[in-house]
Amino acid sequence: MRKPTAPIPSPFESSIAKPGQGKVVLSLLPPNNPTLTTLTYKYPLKLVPRTGGFVPSPDSSVLSDTRPSNPVHLYLLTYGGGLLPGDHIEVSITLEPKTRMVVTTPQGSTKIFKTTPNNAGTTPNVIKGHRDQMPANIHISDMSQQSLDVKIGRQAALCYLPDPSVPFQHSRYAQVQIFTVDATAKGSDRSSLCVLDWVTQGRTSRGEDWNFHFWRGRNEVWAEDDQGKRRLLLRDSVILDDESGDLDATPVSNEIEVEDGAKDEVEDAAHDRNTALSKPADMPPQAPAGLTPLNIIAERTRPHGVVGTLILSGPVFEALGSFMLKQFQSQPRIGSRNWSDHAASSVPEPSLSHKGDVTWTAARVRAGFVLVKFGAKDFETAKHWLGGLIREEGSVIREFGEEALCCL
Amino acid sequence: MFIKDTQDLEAEVALLESRLQDARAQLAASEYPSPPSSWTVKEQYNNSNNHKFTTSSRTSLHALLLLSDSALPLGSFAYSSGLESYLAHNKSSRKSPIASFHRFLKLSIASIASTSLPYVIAGYREPSTLDTLDNDLDASTPCIVAQRASIAQGRALIGVWERAFRVSFAAPGSRATGDVEAAIVAIDDLSNALKSCLEEDEDLGPKGHFAPLWGVVCRAMGLDLQQTAYVFIMNHAKAVLSAAVRAGVMGPYQAQNVLASQELQDTMMKRIAREWNTPVEEAGQVVPALDLWVGRHELLYSRIFNS
Repeated sequence: MRKPTAPIPSPFESSIAKPGQGKVVLSLLPPNNPTLTTLTYKYPLKLVPRTGGFVPSPDSSVLSDTRPSNPVHLYLLTYGGGLLPGDHIEVSITLEPKTRMVVTTPQGSTKIFKTTPNNAGTTPNVIKGHRDQMPANIHISDMSQQSLDVKIGRQAALCYLPDPSVPFQHSRYAQVQIFTVDATAKGSDRSSLCVLDWVTQGRTSRGEDWNFHFWRGRNEVWAEDDQGKRRLLLRDSVILDDESGDLDATPVSNEIEVEDGAKDEVEDAAHDRNTALSKPADMPPQAPAGLTPLNIIAERTRPHGVVGTLILSGPVFEALGSFMLKQFQSQPRIGSRNWSDHAASSVPEPSLSHKGDVTWTAARVRAGFVLVKFGAKDFETAKHWLGGLIREEGSVIREFGEEALCCL
Repeated sequence: MFIKDTQDLEAEVALLESRLQDARAQLAASEYPSPPSSWTVKEQYNNSNNHKFTTSSRTSLHALLLLSDSALPLGSFAYSSGLESYLAHNKSSRKSPIASFHRFLKLSIASIASTSLPYVIAGYREPSTLDTLDNDLDASTPCIVAQRASIAQGRALIGVWERAFRVSFAAPGSRATGDVEAAIVAIDDLSNALKSCLEEDEDLGPKGHFAPLWGVVCRAMGLDLQQTAYVFIMNHAKAVLSAAVRAGVMGPYQAQNVLASQELQDTMMKRIAREWNTPVEEAGQVVPALDLWVGRHELLYSRIFNS
C-alpha cells in the first residue's frame, strides 16, 4: 500500500490554523483507495498518518458484501507527550463512507501537567516550556482542554483505543469527544465506532492518588440525518472534581506548591476549609467514622486506581459487543455459594474473581450500543484485562490489525 | 403565679426559637445566593407566627405534602439505588456497617444530584422541552438497571398524575397560568407519545424517565423550584434509607435519625446549590464507582431490590 496520494498541505499554510487545531478528512477514492484529502494541524498538536500498515483479508470482514477498505492509522501526538495548562487541542476528523480509521496515542499516556493556580498570570510559570501567555481568567487559563469531533459516514468505522489520561497533581482538564453517525444508514450500513476513554489516579510512582483538581471526560454520540437534524444517542460523562473551587470562585485559595511528602497536609487543609465553610459553626461535628475523606475524588473512585468506559456500536464491533456482554453475564454470581460436597462453603469474593482486580459492567443500552464500564486497581491491570478480552475475541485485530491495540 | 411563670418562659422559648430559625434562614440565604434554603419552606408556612396564609400557599403546601409522601405510589421502595450491590461489593466494611452506609448515602446523593437534578431543574424551567430531556437522559443513563428504575418510576408518576392529581390540579376553569398550562400540556404529550408507541417502534422512542417528569409535574402542581429540587433529593434519601432498613443495615429509628440530621440537610443543600445552574449537557457521573455497583446488581446471587 502506498502513501496517501492527495497532496498533504503544509500545516503552516492552513487557514484554520489556531494553535492546537487539527483537521483530517479521510475519503475513499475509486476503486478502493483510502486517501487523506485533508490533513492539517498546528503546534502543539501533531497528527501523523500511516497507511498500508495492515490490509484486512477479504473474507475476514463481517461486512461480507463489500470488501472493507484498508484502515488508515492516525497517531495523535502532542509535543511533550501531554497537555500543559492552557493548551486547547481541537481535532476534527471526517470519515467519509466506507472508510476506516485507527486512532492511537503512541506516547504511553496523555499526561495532564499540573496547574499552579496563583502565579498563573503574574509570576513566571514554573512549568518549563510553557506555551502561552495566560489569559486573565484563571479558571479558563489553567485548564487543559481537548476536543475531538469525529463524523463517521455510512459503513465507515472508527477504532479509537488511546492511552489513558494521567492527570498530575493539581491539574485541571476537560475533554469533550463528539462522534456523529449517519442517521439514515440502517442495518449493516450503519457507522461503527469503538471508543475507549480512561483516566488514572496520576503518577503512582510519585505517590499521586487522585489528587488533581478537576478532570472531566464527556463522550457523546449523535445521529444526524441528511437534513442536518441531530439527535443524541449516547452520552457518557464522568466528572472528577475535588470541589476545591466551589467556595472560592475568586482565586484566593491559600494553596501552595508543595512537594510530595507534604501533600497530605494540603489535603487536610483543603478538607478542613471546605467543611468549615459548609457547616454552620454551632453544629457539633457529627461526621460518622469513615466519613472523613482526605480526598473527595479518591473517595468517589475507591478502591480503583483507574476508571474507564468503552463504547461499542455498529456492525463492525457487533461481535465484540456481544462478546463483552457474554463475558459479563458469565461472571460468577456475587455472594453465591458452592453447594458441591468437596468445595469450600463459599466462593471467593467478587473482587477476586477470575478477572483479577477489575470491577466491570457491560450493558446493551440503546440503539445497539454496548457500554462497558470498568474500574481496576491500576493501569497495568486494566490494560491487561481489556487488551486480553479484545484480543481473545479477535475481531478488532482481524479488521484493523494488531496496531489498533498498540495502547493496550 | 408559678403557672404564669412557666407560661412566660414558654413564650420566651417560642420567641427565641423563631428568632433562631430566622437567623438560620438568613445564614442559609447568604450562603447560597440564588439556590434554595430549606428553611424558606418552613418560614413560608409558619402561619402561627404571621398571618400570610394564603390560598396559593395552601395549595402549594398541599401539593408538597402529596409529593413528599412515602405512600405516593411510585414503587420507589423496590429500588435501593445500588445500596444492595454496594453492600455485596464492600463486605470488608461489615465491621462498621453504619459508617459504610453513611459513605454510600453521601455518594448516592452526590451522584443523583450530578446526574439527575439538572434534568429535574430543566424540566421545571422549560416544560416544553420534556421530550428532548427524556431522550437525553435516556442517552445518558449508562446501565439498564438504573434505566429500568428511572423509567418505571417515571411512568408511575405519569399514572399518579393522570389518575389522581390531574383532576384537582388541572381542572378546567382553575387558574392555570401559562407556565402551569405548559407543564400540563407537556405531561399530556409525553403520556400520549408513550401510549402510541407500543414497543413496536425501536428503542429510541419516548421513555418517561423520572427526573425531568418530576420537574414538570411539580411545576404543574404549583411547587416552586426550590421545593421541587429539595423534595426530589429528599425522596431519594428516604428511598435509600428505607432500603437500608429493609436490608438490615440499621433500624427504623436510626434511619429517621439520619433523615432528620443536620448532616443530611447540609449535604443535600450543598449538592442542590452545586447543580442549581448546571445545564443538562454538563450533567455527569461524579461517582464512577456507583455506576459499577449499580450495573453489577444483576450479578448478585440473591437480591431483594430491583436496583
